[in-house]
Amino acid sequence: MERIVVVGSGASGVHFALSCLLKGRAVTMLDVGFTGEPHPRPEDSLVGLKRNLADPVNYFLGPRYGSLALPGRHGEYYAFPPAKDHVFRPAGALQFQTNGFSPLSSFAAGGLAEVWTGGCYPFDDQDLRQFPFGWDQLETYYTRVAERIGISGTEDDLKSVLPLHGGLQPPLDADEHSAELLAAYARRRQHLNQRLGCLMGRARVAVLSRDLDGRKACGYSGRCLWGCPRQSLYTPAITLSRCRAFPNFQYLDGLYVDHFRISGSGKVRSVVVRRADGVMEEIAADALVLAAGTLGSAKIFLESLHRDSGQILSLSGLMDNRQILMPFVNLRMLGRKWNPDTYQYHQVAMAVRVRESGEMIHGLITTLKTALIHPLVQTLPFDLAGSLTAFRSVHAALGMININFPDYRRQENYVTLDTSSTPHRLAIHYQPDVSEPARLKQTIAAFRKVLWKLGCFAPRPMIHVRPMGASVHYAGTLPMSESGGAGSCTKHGASRDVDGLFFADGTTFPSLPAKNLTFTLMANATRIAEEAF
Amino acid sequence: MGRQMDRLERECITYAAYLSGTPPTPYLVEKYLDFHQKLGETARPREKARTDAFDSFLVEVAARGALWTRLADSYARIFRPNSLLRKKLILVLALLECSPPSFERLDRVPAGGFAGAVLRLIAASVRFLAALIVGAALFGPVRLWMARRWNAS
Repeated sequence: MERIVVVGSGASGVHFALSCLLKGRAVTMLDVGFTGEPHPRPEDSLVGLKRNLADPVNYFLGPRYGSLALPGRHGEYYAFPPAKDHVFRPAGALQFQTNGFSPLSSFAAGGLAEVWTGGCYPFDDQDLRQFPFGWDQLETYYTRVAERIGISGTEDDLKSVLPLHGGLQPPLDADEHSAELLAAYARRRQHLNQRLGCLMGRARVAVLSRDLDGRKACGYSGRCLWGCPRQSLYTPAITLSRCRAFPNFQYLDGLYVDHFRISGSGKVRSVVVRRADGVMEEIAADALVLAAGTLGSAKIFLESLHRDSGQILSLSGLMDNRQILMPFVNLRMLGRKWNPDTYQYHQVAMAVRVRESGEMIHGLITTLKTALIHPLVQTLPFDLAGSLTAFRSVHAALGMININFPDYRRQENYVTLDTSSTPHRLAIHYQPDVSEPARLKQTIAAFRKVLWKLGCFAPRPMIHVRPMGASVHYAGTLPMSESGGAGSCTKHGASRDVDGLFFADGTTFPSLPAKNLTFTLMANATRIAEEAF
Repeated sequence: MGRQMDRLERECITYAAYLSGTPPTPYLVEKYLDFHQKLGETARPREKARTDAFDSFLVEVAARGALWTRLADSYARIFRPNSLLRKKLILVLALLECSPPSFERLDRVPAGGFAGAVLRLIAASVRFLAALIVGAALFGPVRLWMARRWNAS
């Protein structure tokens, strides 16, 4: 039987692998596969953890205080929790040389989506206009993934920009602040729709509101940020576990894929991996599927072609969603009590058509409850004790919109191989479009207007434009097309440069709408597996 | 070493009282010391010794009592936002919010609803402005004097 070798266990890799396994194919997955500690006291709520853990500071801030946000940490309002340290543990061999881009990469079992906040936003025909297929060809796969992972959500005003697919579970219980925002939207819906181009509704999230395949429905323990002990909040490690139950699945962890080898006839022959002890090993492959994330896959591809022919190629078109964090205060919620036993990530989503740019910009609203407060308190314009008093009074009223901007493939944004050091580094060059400053300004103004209409105030000094690379929505270096040349792939992810080589991750996206791409990564990987293998 | 531990313990007790109104638990003090033991040097700003001396002065003064902490913190909020004192105060805040029983106090919403919240925001602003004026009058000249002395030496 032909053996399919998949590199990477992230969102794309596991759904590609599972789809192949369900078709009876044999799959070998190569992965570094770092894992974290088991969740402590799974029966406790977040408040219970703070009360009952023997060393709560160790759990919440980390043994070396890595989640402590001291002043001067570039305006980020969240630090990754210590329980997720393994997600960003470096493997050493993948190094970057960057210009205008702050890349994140992961070698965890489950990949970067182990810290995914679960937002599932399908691409519509408008989003897919540069893809070699449309919504009607992708809908089936969105539904299939939704049925696998469990997505809660409902039909509301957002359906015109977030098309409905099958497999949706009922929405989660909204917390008081989210319900208040939705009520304010309902009261001013006409004005918001017609004058401000704003649509609002429930966020669709990969969180169970009903039990599914042995996973429990959300228990509203407030522990989402630190890792869900009930597995209600989906991560790819759940699908990886499911793959591992198949007899024709082989999971080889502790392996860093360095490059692949090409036969004389131009076909992939084998994969060369570095074991944890530094020893190199060669693994035969009939078909090689790169799903190591856009940057990881690009590095393997560039390294392999360099070793084969001595060429140093550039892959242009790197994309990422620029993000803005916009904290706000909901004036109606001032002085109210708040409940920590609620779902913690986005419960409300919005789409705003910015009049000047014509762009449809998406925002995800988090009502801040159990996140650590010291990163935010220190930004308030008082002494720390005064800031804390103020914060306690406004805690229930605080929210944050995570605004996503679209990106397009441009020649000036590219990755290439830097051979001046050993091991070779992936050189990343990114320059925002010249129109970006104006677009950001217009969008910030549009969102602040919408918030004001909803009874909320967003203080301008607290708005934070995140650096490129921070969203980790990387895509576009070897795009799918109906008829492209070298440096592209077919609609089924097959490389036009090397036979037997496929891409199943964000590498293949020809454009990047203003939406979290993870759900589409999973649907597209499933589509490639089902249609091409 | 013992003297340094005493100094750190005094800082922790004062800063915790300033932020939460109550003295810290032995666990919290232990974690404060643990942080300095593990990361003491990285808690210091990477600046020249001149500014280090003034930052150390602010830390020392702030550890004398909650009132001094407020004055030094108000000054630092505007004129030295990344100073050692701010870092130490934020460390104590992070420890308070992660450990019992202080986290429950920090999570509690003060009574009074909307009107109470607005009044508290106004009070916090007034208190901060007053402390900032006094703090600037006290610490501004000291900073200038220390800078001049440094330049002269």
